[in-house]
Amino acid sequence: MTILAIIIIAGPLAGTVAAAGRAPARSAGWAGAAGASVTLAAAIWLLVSMLHHTPVRGLGGFLYLDSLSCFFLFTVAIVTTLAAVGSVGYLSAEEAAGNLTSFQVRLYYIFFGLFAALMLASLETGNLGLLFVLIEASTLASAALVGLEGKASSLEAAWKYVIISSLGVTIALAGTLFLFYSASALHLAPDLRLTWPYLFAHAHALAPASLRLAFLLAVVGYGTKVGLAPMHTWLPDAHAEAPSPASAMLSAALLNTGMYAIIRFLAIAKAGLGPDFPRMVLLVFGFLSVIIGVLFMVRRGNFKRLFAYSSVEHMGIIAVALGFGGVLGLYGALLHTLNHAIAKAVLFLSSGDVAVRYRTRDALQVRGVLAVVPLTGGALLLGSFAVLGSPPFGLFLSELTIVRAGFAAASPALPLLLLLLLAVAFIAFARTTTAMATGEPGPLPATATAGSGRAGPYPGRAARLTAIAPAAVGLAALLVLGLWIPAGLSTAITHSIGVL
Amino acid sequence: MQSLSATSTAGVLMDLAGVLILLLAFACLGSKLFNRYVAYYGAQSVVLSFAAAVAAYAFASPELWVLAVATLAIKGIAIPVAARRLLIRRLDLKRDAALSTGLSTSLIVGGGLTAFAYLVTKPQVLPHGLVAAAVVPLSTAVILLGALAMVVRRHTVAQLIGWLIVENGVFLGAITLVATFPFIVEAGIFLDIVAGVLIMLVFVSGLTRQLASASAPELRELHG
Repeated sequence: MTILAIIIIAGPLAGTVAAAGRAPARSAGWAGAAGASVTLAAAIWLLVSMLHHTPVRGLGGFLYLDSLSCFFLFTVAIVTTLAAVGSVGYLSAEEAAGNLTSFQVRLYYIFFGLFAALMLASLETGNLGLLFVLIEASTLASAALVGLEGKASSLEAAWKYVIISSLGVTIALAGTLFLFYSASALHLAPDLRLTWPYLFAHAHALAPASLRLAFLLAVVGYGTKVGLAPMHTWLPDAHAEAPSPASAMLSAALLNTGMYAIIRFLAIAKAGLGPDFPRMVLLVFGFLSVIIGVLFMVRRGNFKRLFAYSSVEHMGIIAVALGFGGVLGLYGALLHTLNHAIAKAVLFLSSGDVAVRYRTRDALQVRGVLAVVPLTGGALLLGSFAVLGSPPFGLFLSELTIVRAGFAAASPALPLLLLLLLAVAFIAFARTTTAMATGEPGPLPATATAGSGRAGPYPGRAARLTAIAPAAVGLAALLVLGLWIPAGLSTAITHSIGVL
Repeated sequence: MQSLSATSTAGVLMDLAGVLILLLAFACLGSKLFNRYVAYYGAQSVVLSFAAAVAAYAFASPELWVLAVATLAIKGIAIPVAARRLLIRRLDLKRDAALSTGLSTSLIVGGGLTAFAYLVTKPQVLPHGLVAAAVVPLSTAVILLGALAMVVRRHTVAQLIGWLIVENGVFLGAITLVATFPFIVEAGIFLDIVAGVLIMLVFVSGLTRQLASASAPELRELHG
């Protein structure tokens, strides 16, 4: 099992090593994609074998794997694989168009691999201090991706991202400190006092006053990474300015990693303080995020910003589901995490193809994607309906579960409010994306037309395929998850809830 | 390994160091010159490494000695020197004009935040008689003051210094509250800070090259 854990982290680093070793950019991309696929295979293997195993502990508590971490590893590994394959096409098109130098492309692959490996590593540690270290390090690696293009706007977004996230994560470190302190009475060796399984097992013996402070600081701090309002302000800029596959990683993997950290603190707080205080905190931040996300989705403009605000909304929904609690709420939260991750990866990757062809990120200038590139247009349209929770896609099922959990746990007003907000989100989001997909295509840049012998803006058929295939695969997975949740996955989620 | 008692010599020294660190955070908040920001931050880090050395001596902990030396070398010397050479001198930064409130206002707000820090940490969380009961409110106040500096100052260099002050506040809390995190964690935190400062240096110089000056009033392209 320890070997599997190491393989999972090492997979994405293949691209980093290849790029740092001065391999040609294209082969570095392929190496990264191959490594990510190995990671995904290992993560699936781990998820399945964890069904019959007790949690794995090793390296003095620094390595800790249970069903919950395996589930998140699986989610992040899927996104990493989709984005790594998508990177090959997107980056080669950007390089061919002269938007990125080959040095920048190489830098991209170096930091992409590091970013993915650090996130995966943070999901594998049971030490809350090391969790902070790895999440902060993944912030830095991803900031390099956001600022990659080197334009004033992308540097500005990267600056905003790195400074706000670093501050937020430092606040989470202060929370970790108070958690450590609340365990003073336990007389554990200092090495164990930050170890999640020990803290969780002794949660009732933690000092409640400092535990409460620790939980609040952790939600605010890691909530900054998750993009919970009002700490979400870095998120739309960073998502809009990063290269599209990197945006997919930010939205579908990084935010989930932050949510994972919050869930770890939540479990301890619930066991130590009772359910009322954590529930209130999560419901407040969750609903605020849903409201802010929905309100800003009404505005038209950069379509990647639209997707980013949708991420704020969905992270809010997951926080609300965690707040509702109960088996149903937790099940819905985890299922929604997986569904949202895949759907957002599909959207950002297909938006990458749109951006490369139309040479703009302004939604108002993009019309008729369905006519120009049927596959991408279809992915964009279906992906946006999936992310909005229409049947038969997976998000319909998970949102339904969450609303049911709300009716079971709280007064009916809260789930009804959530439904209302989801309806507004539907209208706001769909009016932009349907207009992009349908409509009469206006005059396009010369690179936009597909199938004229060349592979559009891509330097080859293989590159073109890598730009479109991940979105199609992701969409198929969402459809499957909407119709039928594989028994193994369902058991894995139930086991994860058992951990909490 | 428990916290120090407030009346021991080490406890008194830690308390003194905490007060000095808070005063230096205020000094930074009340200044307008980039040179001073860096100087105050450097001085604060030196005092912090002194506090770490006191704790190391009191607990006879070799790991804390390593931390004290690393704090002095990296936060006290390397980062201030790098900031001075690579940012202030090369970009010719002198007077910070990008303040969103006046200095007196931000000092008054800072005073309020300090009182708030005492209010939230002292009564409920900490046992009496330990030096932590005196120093943790101080370190919370330093965290809040650093965050305030980041909000009030709109220049990227000033915001960077603000983040480093927040980090110092957390570190002060760490050495008094829990004596030490596991060493790997502490080392990781240090590495993160160094990598963070490096990457921020790159962004700041890139931004400054792109815009005539990297103050936030010009950083208005992205909004909403």
